[in-house]
Order: sequence, then structure tokens, then C-alpha cells
Amino acid sequence: MKWRKNDIQQYVQSKEYIDTILLPLIPIQLSSDDDAEKHASQSEVMNILANEIEKELTGRIMLAPNYHYLKSADKQLESKRLNGWAEDMKKQPFSHIVYITFDSSWKKHEKDISDNLLWMPAVQVGEINSKEMHGIIREQVGQTVELIRSYWQSN
Amino acid sequence: MSNEKQQVSRRQFLNYTLTGVGGFMAAGLLISPIRMAVDPVLKESSAGDLANVGLSVDDITSEPQRIDWSVDQVDGWYESEVNRSAWVYRNEDDEIVAFSPVCKHLGCVVSWEGSENHPNEYFCPCHDGRYYKDGTNVPGTPPLAPLDEYEQEVRDGMLFLGDARPREEA
Ligand code: FES
Repeated sequence: MKWRKNDIQQYVQSKEYIDTILLPLIPIQLSSDDDAEKHASQSEVMNILANEIEKELTGRIMLAPNYHYLKSADKQLESKRLNGWAEDMKKQPFSHIVYITFDSSWKKHEKDISDNLLWMPAVQVGEINSKEMHGIIREQVGQTVELIRSYWQSN
Repeated sequence: MSNEKQQVSRRQFLNYTLTGVGGFMAAGLLISPIRMAVDPVLKESSAGDLANVGLSVDDITSEPQRIDWSVDQVDGWYESEVNRSAWVYRNEDDEIVAFSPVCKHLGCVVSWEGSENHPNEYFCPCHDGRYYKDGTNVPGTPPLAPLDEYEQEVRDGMLFLGDARPREEA
């Protein structure tokens, strides 16, 4: 399920089956040319990745809107905001919230976040539509799906 | 001979032209849906056509295999390449069958033998939905209908697949 009208309508009717939120954490920063390009490209990859995962598990996962933040922002503050999002979402019967990100700086704040943080190393992107890139993304999708299934099983 | 033309004032001229443009646009609005329906060149997408999925029929066995291919699709505002997948195998009557992997419960992607506990079946990871090899849903699991089946054709020994269609209730 995605954050769009039709999906939410369906969600409201089948809540008992959709118990997991997938929430991409995506840093932005426009002030430096090089970094901006890197962030934009990683954000593109993250969107593809998140959409593919959603497609595999659409009947049990709600893909939340991306959480964007300044790369240089204070992560402790951001964690607080994020927990606010999570708190609101949990007013629905979601039993798993999974944050997915390429930004390793979240690792240091894992304890500040009340839910599962799924960090994966950013791939160096050449051409996003290349065969090679497709392979890499498919691989990451497969691994992430397995991981999410393991969260389900441990419940 | 240019008398009539000179009688057209500036305002009238503007009026005529604007009405003309408006009328033309309105006609466009009226015509386009009809043309979309009739004119094959303007048809929505190639999604309804059969696509070569890159699988030789000689390679299709009684063991279901997953194949992926992509088609161009116009979806509302966006034209995009969409990926499609199928599980393809040969049934007991030696007929080629291609199932859509989309679970009939809430749409997750099913896999052949996706669970060790349920060999010889399709398995849906979301709510343990199951289907027999012939695509029929296993009673007592969440899905209430058999897997959709792709339209298909064999051309020059290659498999072509079209749209997935719901099957008759088994
Ligand atoms: S989506 Fe397949 S069992 Fe629910």
C-alpha cells in the first residue's frame, strides 16, 4: 500500500492484514554541489528500492511518505520528530515500523529511535537504468524482503 | 475585392480568431476520446499486446520458473516501463501455463515453493496464502480465487505473454 487515496481506502477496510510501515529516511543538502548530486542520486535509488519492496509485500506493508531532513541536521532532534511520526502511526494497529536508509549516521542514534532501523550501504550509482544497477537493486530488494519477513516471524 | 476584409474591425477580428481557437480546442476535446478508442495508433499503450518474454518454449518444463520482462504502459499522467513477472510451466496435458505472481488476497508477490513447509505449492509471504501447482487457491488460506493467468501465444518457438486475466473458478 502507498500513501494515496485508493490505497488508504483499501487499508481502512483491511487493517488487520497490513501491520507494517516502511518509512524511507532521505537526507537532502543543496549547499554543496558535489554533495547535492550524491544525495539526489541516493534519493533516486532509495525511491526505487522502497517502491520495489512495497510491490513485493504490498498486502502487508504501508509505504509511508519519505522523511526528508538536512544532512547536517542534529540527529537527536530528528529522532524526536521521527518518533512523533511513529507515535501517530501507531494509533493504527501497526505492529512494525521499519525505517530504511542509506545514511549511516542514523546508526549512532539507533537507541533514540523506538523502532527498527534498517541501514544499508549506498551503492555507487553509475547509470540508474543500467543492467548492472537493476541487478544490484533486485539483490537489495530480495535481502530487505527477507529481513522484513524475519521481523514478522519473530512476532 | 478586398472590400469585405477591410470591413472587419480589429475587435471583430480578434473575436473571430479567438472563437475559432476555442472552437478548435473544444472539437479537440470531443474528438480525442473517440480517436483513442478507434485509432489503433493512438491506443493507450502496448500493454494489451503480446510481448516476447525472452523464453524459448523448449526451456519450459513441468517445474514452474519465474520470468521477468517489461512493457511500456501509459498510466494516467505517466508513461512508464513496467516490470511484469510470471510463473511458467508445462502442465500434465503438456500445455504451457503462465500465472501472474500477484496474490489474489491483497496483492503480494507469490513464489513457487516459497515456504519450506509447503512444497509443491505457491506461497505468499504476507499472510501465508497458498496455491496448488495448477494455480487453484488452497482452501482455508486467505486468497479466495485462483491466480490470474496470462494470455499467451507461441511464435517461432518463443513465448509471448499479454495481460493477466482472472480464471474461471475451478
Ligand atoms: S496478500 Fe497473499 S495471503 Fe494476503
